[in-house]
Amino acid sequence: MTTRIVWIVGVVLVGPALTGRATAAAQDSQFGIRGPGTPGRWESVRSRSTGGAFAPFDPLSPLSEAELADVPQLTATAMETASYRDAEVAGTTSALRATRFPLLNVAGRVHRRLAIAAGFTTYLDRTWDVTLRDSSLLRGTLERYTDEVTSDGSIADLRLAAASRLSRRIALGAGLHLLSGSTRETAERRFDDTTFHTVQQLAEVRYSGVGVSGSLLLAVAPGLSVTGWARADSRLRATVADTTSADTDLPRMAGGGMLFSPSASVRFGGSVAWRGWARAGAGAFDTWSWSAGGEIGAGHMPLRFGVRGGQLPFGPGPTAPTEFAAAAGTGRAFAQGRALLDVGVERLERRGGGLTERVWTALVGITVRP
Amino acid sequence: MMVRRATLIGGVLLAAACVERVSAPGHCPSFCPSGQIQIVDTVLTSIISRDSSFRGYVTALRAPQLLAADLPGFVDGRVVFRFNGYGQRYLLAAADSGTILGADSARLQLTLARRDTGAHNLSIAFYRLPITIDSTTTFADLAGPFTDSLVRRVNIDTLLARPGRKDSITGDSAVVDTLNHVVVLQLKFDTAAARYVGTDSGTVAYGIRVSADSLASVAFTRSTLAWQWYLRVDSAGTPVARTPSPLSLPFSSFVSDPPLPATDSMLAVGGVPSARSILRVAFPRFIRDSSQIIRATLTLVPVAPVQGAPSDSFVVEAHTVFTDVGAKSPIIVDATRTDTAVIHVGMSDTVQIEVTNLMQFWASDTTRATTLVLRAKEEATSFSQIRFYPSAAQAFRPAIQVTFVRRFPFGAP
Repeated sequence: MTTRIVWIVGVVLVGPALTGRATAAAQDSQFGIRGPGTPGRWESVRSRSTGGAFAPFDPLSPLSEAELADVPQLTATAMETASYRDAEVAGTTSALRATRFPLLNVAGRVHRRLAIAAGFTTYLDRTWDVTLRDSSLLRGTLERYTDEVTSDGSIADLRLAAASRLSRRIALGAGLHLLSGSTRETAERRFDDTTFHTVQQLAEVRYSGVGVSGSLLLAVAPGLSVTGWARADSRLRATVADTTSADTDLPRMAGGGMLFSPSASVRFGGSVAWRGWARAGAGAFDTWSWSAGGEIGAGHMPLRFGVRGGQLPFGPGPTAPTEFAAAAGTGRAFAQGRALLDVGVERLERRGGGLTERVWTALVGITVRP
Repeated sequence: MMVRRATLIGGVLLAAACVERVSAPGHCPSFCPSGQIQIVDTVLTSIISRDSSFRGYVTALRAPQLLAADLPGFVDGRVVFRFNGYGQRYLLAAADSGTILGADSARLQLTLARRDTGAHNLSIAFYRLPITIDSTTTFADLAGPFTDSLVRRVNIDTLLARPGRKDSITGDSAVVDTLNHVVVLQLKFDTAAARYVGTDSGTVAYGIRVSADSLASVAFTRSTLAWQWYLRVDSAGTPVARTPSPLSLPFSSFVSDPPLPATDSMLAVGGVPSARSILRVAFPRFIRDSSQIIRATLTLVPVAPVQGAPSDSFVVEAHTVFTDVGAKSPIIVDATRTDTAVIHVGMSDTVQIEVTNLMQFWASDTTRATTLVLRAKEEATSFSQIRFYPSAAQAFRPAIQVTFVRRFPFGAP
């Protein structure tokens, strides 16, 4: 068993390591700069390729737990994303790129009626770099300067989950979440007049918090399942050099979904979620999000597609920014089905407060079933 | 099949791999962090105290330059030097010596290290002085010889204007060293001017006065002062010429009148003997412990305009010390922890010295003594000195203007 686990962890880490980046973070956004961060998407590549519609039913997506009850064997997955983002505001467009490693999940059965999973995903991404050109009156002279404030890091959601199928129709799941992460933040001001020395400050900010979640999966009819989930997180505590610098209330969340499988090779799904981010403070909003998608083909290369939309929790102005995305993808099994390679692509557009972000994201996931 | 799979996996990983680029122009306040870099600029008028000045660090005897000046109303400075001779006899061969009969002539090498280019008709006059001059000799002691013992006079401007900078009649010459910005003078003293007196062991002493239409102030390099005798020696009844090796490193100094006033409560820097001022800085904790200093400027108000010729302008340095033991505090002589300001003659404006690096040094090591020492960069190389108001003068006291940045609110949403 130990050998198996070591082998799994080794394999799922090879892919991201080969691409030179292994930071646990999700796709970031300029909308997250002013808030606690950009919330991650708790979806595997397979789920994300369907717009997120399959996430409540995917045991390798850490959105809910009840579906873990149907994990047939020890399974591990890891995911990498590469995003190409154009942020357009006030007629200026910035081309941004990022590579992330937002998901690692291991699930397996420990008893005939009990399955458990452990892993991490991105809770909030806090990677950004803002440069600003300005001036201020200093010692009677207008001094021009360039500011650069950066943050590099994220807050991970470390989850330990368990699920049990109570009957043929009902499965229950619960999860304990440990929020942990750090960011390396810098603030620099460089004056044109070198008589003023450059301002350079940096800090390692550590974050901590906890959360609990629960979910219920019901098979209401042959080929038709519905699920519901809920989650409550505590406060996110930010500490700098052992001193608390901020305490942010984290949201309550709830959501549900429906999965319809008219045949073994065709599946359609839809989901909806509510997140109470308004607790987080000024400039934060409660959000609704939805998704719909499908998967056709259960053979070597299924076709996945989906759309999603909703709101972002942080942004300027009186209303929450909105987003809409379309995604597609496929997968391929290797080694008699013991290894799966999932790929996908997503086109996303976010709008709000005068900012428009357009993002292409390439998704790569590796799943191993030893 | 394997190749296709490998190509597929490789292609996917390659597509997913990319470089990080997250830097974007900020559009504030909507899409900027809530925390801002906060800069505070304040004049700390009461953090300097227990300031005082001391004189005597470098005297005329130890000064690297010999100063001569004729600046009416400010100073009359004169160079004095003495070369010891060879005695009454001269070694002609290994076992043969002869009586020195006298000198045909002598040649003095002088390096003019500094002169005012605005001075016209610049001349230096040589006076024969008693060979008894020493470190205790004062300006008044030499008043007589400097009045009635003129041996020769050289007009520097005239010599420099001659072809080849040589005077074939007097035997004088000059070489202008444009690299080091000095003029090397070779001046001939004839038999009457350079008398070799055997009973005095051939010792000679001279004094130099400088004159010009205005701005008569010069400095000679002490270390290059040299004297070459051209002797006549009795060799078995026959006078023979001998040129011994040049004499160097003589006793040399300079005297001046009027003497500098005694140090008082004002903060003096410069002059001869050189003066330094020591300022104790009460470094505020709120700046030292929780902020970053980006500029600090020491402001000093002069009591009066600095006197002298324009070429007497000098540089004031601000140093910190290893430990504060008063006047003899050992200063940290380190280019990275030395701040300077040029003091121009005639100026009466407030003097500002950027002491940012010193304040940062104190902030980084709180065990350091927060003491500033002000001194001339090259001490005792100018008669000019500057005097600043001390902390006791409430209206004009020294102050430090500090620009600092508060701690950035890292971690705040």
